[in-house]
Amino acid sequence: MENDLPRRREAAGLSQGELAEAVGVTRQTINAIERDRYDPSLDLAFKLAAHFECHIEDIFQPEENDDET
Amino acid sequence: MFDGLALEPDEPGQARRVYYRVVYAILAIAIVGLLAGLVTGREVLGTIIYCGGAWIGSGITFLAPKLTDVPLQDERDTELYNRASGLTLGVLFVLGLSVIPAIYVLEAAGRIEPPPEVTGAILLASGLFLLWGVAYGIVKRR
Repeated sequence: MENDLPRRREAAGLSQGELAEAVGVTRQTINAIERDRYDPSLDLAFKLAAHFECHIEDIFQPEENDDET
Repeated sequence: MFDGLALEPDEPGQARRVYYRVVYAILAIAIVGLLAGLVTGREVLGTIIYCGGAWIGSGITFLAPKLTDVPLQDERDTELYNRASGLTLGVLFVLGLSVIPAIYVLEAAGRIEPPPEVTGAILLASGLFLLWGVAYGIVKRR
């Protein structure tokens, strides 16, 4: 899963820790999501989308080879 | 216990670090206490220290996330635990499937006589798989 969370977070002037606190997870989880090392749960994806006032698919996009699995 | 640390943006991270340090310190004291008891001949005292530490550490691990809004553990931690547990069980399952039936058959045929340690390990692994099966059934129905 690809995402543009770093761009949105930086545009909002938030640190990883601040965003983590806002959505109720640890900074390490935000870091892992931004580095494409962890795909968030649907619940967390909704919280992130709500925080940035956008749709989930505006933040997260399936990678091209995801369709092949 | 950790609520007072959650006042500034970077302090949830600090609370998380304190949480893990407290838990690991208690478990370390418990293990050192047990080993010290063995070395000094005070096995009962060492066992009491170990059991106390294990229960207190486990209690903090269980209760602390429920008593604070600071995310001491989150969904990623849970997934990592689940993946590690699955990997551990998978390795044990493959080893168990490939070894335990063979040992049973060879022992029944009188070809080998496993030492008590091996028998104990087999019983432990069998109990673990049984417990996993029961837990899986419970989780599946919830």
